[in-house]
Amino acid sequence: MTNVMTDWDLAAITALLPIAAVMTVLQKNPYHALVVRGILGAIAALVYALLGAADVALTEALVGTMLAITLYAVAVRSSLVLKLGIIAPVDLPEISIENGSQNGQQNGETEDLVHPVSQPLEDMFNLIHSFEDPPELKPLLADLRVFCDRHSLRLELHPMPDRQALDYAMETKEVHGVALLNGDSAAHPYSVTVRVDRLYELMQTELNPAIATLDTTTVSLPENPLMSDTSSR
Amino acid sequence: MNWILGPMLLILLIPIYETFQDKDIWQKMLAFASVSTKTSIMILVISVLRDDWMIGLVGVLILSVGNASLMLLAQVLKRVNEL
Repeated sequence: MTNVMTDWDLAAITALLPIAAVMTVLQKNPYHALVVRGILGAIAALVYALLGAADVALTEALVGTMLAITLYAVAVRSSLVLKLGIIAPVDLPEISIENGSQNGQQNGETEDLVHPVSQPLEDMFNLIHSFEDPPELKPLLADLRVFCDRHSLRLELHPMPDRQALDYAMETKEVHGVALLNGDSAAHPYSVTVRVDRLYELMQTELNPAIATLDTTTVSLPENPLMSDTSSR
Repeated sequence: MNWILGPMLLILLIPIYETFQDKDIWQKMLAFASVSTKTSIMILVISVLRDDWMIGLVGVLILSVGNASLMLLAQVLKRVNEL
């Protein structure tokens, strides 16, 4: 093989790898770190190909960049979330299969195959996305959104019809916390209860104390019989 | 033709510098797209310079796969921003 590259070229390109690695480590937001990890993967593939390891470069691009980033993006998205239970009227639209099939008949036979299934799903999707902040909770939610943005959390509101449902959601660990409206006579307009210790610590220092009182609670589920079985053996 | 790698390296540094600057995630995605395309083109150039078809094939594969991973990541990020 003729030596087509000078040592300086090789060294300069290889030096990009530690630069990209340091950049990845310095990212604060996990999503930004994932994107920079992609850049690191692209540069690593270049260096491997440059040094003659074409198979390693291909593996880095396929597994290291594509698969790892996609899996991590899904994992970060599902784990970095603050589920907050609130009391709000939930008006579920009438979702029925009939609705979809009627549409299909009106629109012709070709869409008849598609609509009966996709229409209810679409309705559900629109319901989740069209749920707007209840006006009486707006000041608290604005404060919470600032808090969530700072820690790159995603705020997910779980509207419940009444207090009982809210308590049940807390007991079954369906939500991380609940936000309630205090009466007009109370000193603070809202009260927030969280069951995650770390969230409580962070909120204690960062949430505006004039808006809401903060409380923590521990939820202990009755132990799963399967789990206790294995642990006792 | 060896001199071409030097300018290519300098051009590659532009989007890398860009990722340092930007706070917006979509700007970072643009920089990622730029870097992944530029590195695969560099791999193709190296394969031509060395007359090595194996590296050339890998370069083509990385060029297409890099864009696929970019689109997958963009889909996930878009859903995160919507919610």
